[in-house]
Amino acid sequence: GRGGGGGGRKVVVVPHRHPGVFIAKGKDDDMLLTKNLVVGESVYGEKRISVDAENAEKIEYRVWNPFRSKLGAAILSGVDSIHMPPGAKVLYLGAASGTTVSHVSDIVGPTGLVYAIEFSHRSGRDLLNVAKKRPNIIPIIEDARHPHKYRMLIGMVDTMFADVAQPDQARILALNAHHFLKDGGNFVISIKASCIDSTAAPEAVFAEEVKKLQSEKLKPKEQITLEPYERDHAIVVGTYRPLGKAKKEVNQNE
Amino acid sequence: MVNSTGVGSQSLLYVLYEHASGYSLFRVHEFEEIGMLLPQVEQSVLDLSKFATVVKLIAFFPFQSGINALDNTNSISEGLVHDDLHNFLETNLPKPSKRAKMILGVADSKIASTINEQFSITCQHTGVIPELLRGIRVHFPNLIKGLTDQNQNKAQLGLGHAYSRAKVKFNVNRVDNMII
Repeated sequence: GRGGGGGGRKVVVVPHRHPGVFIAKGKDDDMLLTKNLVVGESVYGEKRISVDAENAEKIEYRVWNPFRSKLGAAILSGVDSIHMPPGAKVLYLGAASGTTVSHVSDIVGPTGLVYAIEFSHRSGRDLLNVAKKRPNIIPIIEDARHPHKYRMLIGMVDTMFADVAQPDQARILALNAHHFLKDGGNFVISIKASCIDSTAAPEAVFAEEVKKLQSEKLKPKEQITLEPYERDHAIVVGTYRPLGKAKKEVNQNE
Repeated sequence: MVNSTGVGSQSLLYVLYEHASGYSLFRVHEFEEIGMLLPQVEQSVLDLSKFATVVKLIAFFPFQSGINALDNTNSISEGLVHDDLHNFLETNLPKPSKRAKMILGVADSKIASTINEQFSITCQHTGVIPELLRGIRVHFPNLIKGLTDQNQNKAQLGLGHAYSRAKVKFNVNRVDNMII
């Protein structure tokens, strides 16, 4: 039925520092929210909150569980920027069943776009169903290791997000960036230490991954861990082919 | 002469770009100093007016329907030359007698070897080619008449769904093994 954190208790929704993300200020705890693109529908059984807007209309939000989403966890862990403002085009590697993708779809809104890549057919079926109701998600069931296979389906993007949990994930991110990420575009990658090397110390694994990114023109700017939401996970955020001074001038002349 | 860009100075360079809305063929303008091509392309990618001086659209073949687009996408994905692509290249590449001198830039090694077999032309997918393709991807809606950012996204959306539905459906016997 009608979702509502706390069942009718008064909640106040305020915009988060990240554009397109919101926080419900409750009596006991705060909740992370995104504005529901498809009013009246939950995607994975998450709660919905409806609040009165200024012009007597209602705005519906969906509760974003940080224990089920690394991007959600990163936001609550205080990541400086996720680089996905409303209107942004995002390439999402490792879309799984589309839970986090659905929140990214809320955030970038009707003028934005999410290219969602998932290789597993089992998850892919769920992803297709999520995308059916959300016209800003382009679902692509294909191996992210082979971007040339889906090159016809993707345009240039502003931001890439990767959560593929593969030992060669830095290479996968780089391959896709070379094809689809614009100069000066940003990337957000989730690194699960045990997926890359279960014997090394997580900090050492993260440092090694950062080195790999740097060698591919992916310049890391920020690294945070996802405690207490995930153990031995880090999120690294950075810029691809940062625009130099000369190039910035070219941009301004446009 | 072949240098760091891998393109001889006497060659005519063309680039094939496959898009959800159709096939396009570009001709790369000749450079006096071919060594300057890569940095110039990298610079011009940010600026449409500059990029338009580097590549020129020769031809565009729009897909006739959703089914036609999916057919072609499946071929490209496997590195095969669809009949539509064959006809497109046959019609728009230089005459066979002049093909010995030209180079066709393409996106991957598989399509490079398939085209090479069918047309006996030199294909290249490294060096300056990926940069040229990046530039075309950035500016594509502005390079094709009648195409906008919105309708190119629409073409990708329909094709993405069709391609992915087929992937899932054609592999009903494929089961992701659950590890319990």
